[in-house]
Amino acid sequence: MICIISLIVFSILGIFSATHRALAKEALDCVFRRVTFRPCNTGFKEKMKSRIIGRLLSKSVFIARIANKHFEIFSWIFFVLMIGSTFWVVKGGYNYYIYGSCNGLNQSGFCAFDPKGENNKVTDINQQCGIEEKTEKNVTLENVDLSTFPTKNVGSKDTVVLIGCYECDYTRKAYSDIQKLVKEKKTNYIFAHYPAKENTNFLSEIGYCVYKDYGDKFWAFNDYLFTVDKVEIYQSEYINTILRNFDFDVKKINDCTQEPETKKLVNDQIVQLRKTHLYGTPTVFINGEGLVGPKPYRVYKSMLNKFIIF
Amino acid sequence: MDLEKIKNDFPLLNKRIKNKPIVYFDSACMSLKPKPVIEAMNEYYYNYPACAGRSHHQLGEIVTKKIKEARRTVAKFINADEREVIFTRNTTEGINLLANSLNLRSGDLVLTTDKEHNSNLVPWLSMVRKKGIRHMVVKSKVGGLFDIEKYKELVKGAKLVSMVYTSNLDGTTIPAKEVIRIAHENGTLVFLDVAQSVAHQKIDVKKLDVDFIAFSGHKILGPTGTGIFYGKYELLEKLEPFLVGGATVESSIYDGYEMLKAPEKFEAGLQDYAGIIGLGEAVKYLESIGYDNIKEQELKINSYITNELARWPQIKIIGPLDPALRTSIISFYIEGVDMHRISLMLDNMANVMIRSGQHCVHSWFNDKKIFNSARISLYFYNTMDEAKIFVESFDKIMKIM
Repeated sequence: MICIISLIVFSILGIFSATHRALAKEALDCVFRRVTFRPCNTGFKEKMKSRIIGRLLSKSVFIARIANKHFEIFSWIFFVLMIGSTFWVVKGGYNYYIYGSCNGLNQSGFCAFDPKGENNKVTDINQQCGIEEKTEKNVTLENVDLSTFPTKNVGSKDTVVLIGCYECDYTRKAYSDIQKLVKEKKTNYIFAHYPAKENTNFLSEIGYCVYKDYGDKFWAFNDYLFTVDKVEIYQSEYINTILRNFDFDVKKINDCTQEPETKKLVNDQIVQLRKTHLYGTPTVFINGEGLVGPKPYRVYKSMLNKFIIF
Repeated sequence: MDLEKIKNDFPLLNKRIKNKPIVYFDSACMSLKPKPVIEAMNEYYYNYPACAGRSHHQLGEIVTKKIKEARRTVAKFINADEREVIFTRNTTEGINLLANSLNLRSGDLVLTTDKEHNSNLVPWLSMVRKKGIRHMVVKSKVGGLFDIEKYKELVKGAKLVSMVYTSNLDGTTIPAKEVIRIAHENGTLVFLDVAQSVAHQKIDVKKLDVDFIAFSGHKILGPTGTGIFYGKYELLEKLEPFLVGGATVESSIYDGYEMLKAPEKFEAGLQDYAGIIGLGEAVKYLESIGYDNIKEQELKINSYITNELARWPQIKIIGPLDPALRTSIISFYIEGVDMHRISLMLDNMANVMIRSGQHCVHSWFNDKKIFNSARISLYFYNTMDEAKIFVESFDKIMKIM
């Protein structure tokens, strides 16, 4: 059993070291003999056992005695542990590729491939940008009415919903990938602004009015708000300049935002968004599956693909 | 004997691995090299890296002189004539030279002991296959000592007695003088493999009256790839060279050649000059230590380790229990235990370096059906402190076996 463990361990170490490469070769020879039902007479097992026991002997005779006596049992235990850990590593790698987190969809535990948890960071809906969400909830689109939000590519079989905040770094990080996905896959796309920061509430109203009055021209405006320096959208005065630059009727838009009907509708939108149980932005739904935090593009893409990468 | 000075002469003894001293107990395989040997070899490569016996420029003359000096030193060392000393690569080459030059014929009998190193067994077995000679083995008595009575029976009619003087397996030494006398009374030639002997005891070819001997430089503090083959001059004159070519002929024409006399006719091709010069220095160093001092130190340590091993009844020492009969060697095994494990553990625990395996005496192990043994082989540079490190580490291993 020690031969199999050695083969795997030394093969990995052998990538970096010639000494371990030679040991891996010896281990392979030993394993090959075993799988072809021949005795492993290469001396490799004895060599490994002696090295391990020899090292232990210089630390503790008691531990060395136990290890020597039950060497095969320990080898099996380590083998099972190694198979188990290999399974979890592979699973973690798969999860990371598919969901951007080793632990699975929207799980924010430690991930060796993403040690800083960048793929799970969100802007807390009640606090400031950059706070990592600790609580994991099931976000859902069930019983959520998205009919009043800007929509394009209606009729597509796939649907992407982006709930984000214009001023939040993590939404900005995810935004371009979502646009790329929508453009590439021609999905039905719904954008919902959720003002994670209170000082951007007015942008929800402006967005609603622009979409209502100018239809598809909204999308270019929306793109601009996500790419422009955040300073330009912190204050409502700057927005007028932006609206003007897009040839929108500034007065008409501003009047629209002041209408009680608009206020009510935007408030209703927030109510609907809260029904999703979202806890931070960005929250993306792809065909109803929720993804919280800015994921790598491949993760978004894989949610639409039948065979992971195609 | 000033052990502190000796320690300083051997660079390896002052090194540490993983911050622990090195306990080198494998001198029967390879002796350590003192500074004078290393420096002499370096001097050749630095100052006069030229050919000997061919080039007559200044550097060539220096090398020729150094090689002559080395030959003279070695000849004096074994009490031989300079013309009787042939430089080889090692003992094995010397034995092959003899086996292939002796003009053995079908039916000729060669006698060996049952504890021959492969180097003094395989060449004769090869001659059995090639020329149809006969090969017989004089088996040791119980306890590992030479069976002189059995030998007397078998030597009659033998062409050659080819025996190991001191066994690398168990350190026992055959009664060479008597063996040679009996052989000569029967008109039989005698070759002695003195590779393990010459490092620990004086070899005087004239006193022994031996016909041929061979040994390696690397076991007597010299460089690897060096060896000596000795033969009585009148016998060397009769031997046909094993290897021929450059440096072996006086002259040649397109359809013939005139051989040089011994020893040159046996030294084909360019020699390992640095090695030969180093070998000369090794002999000088060995003589400066003195065999009495060497034996005393080895016996002291051998006795201590033998006594300590005796505390473990499962340990079986190969050969006689009396350390005085085993010179520098303690070869032992435990039934059912692969002794490689023991040696590897000692190495990993405390840098104690011993050899394990069949020590190139496979025939003996196969005959006795013993898997392998661990072998401690000592030399004068080993100390009691090192022996204590071995015993302490070995005790720990035995506690877990």
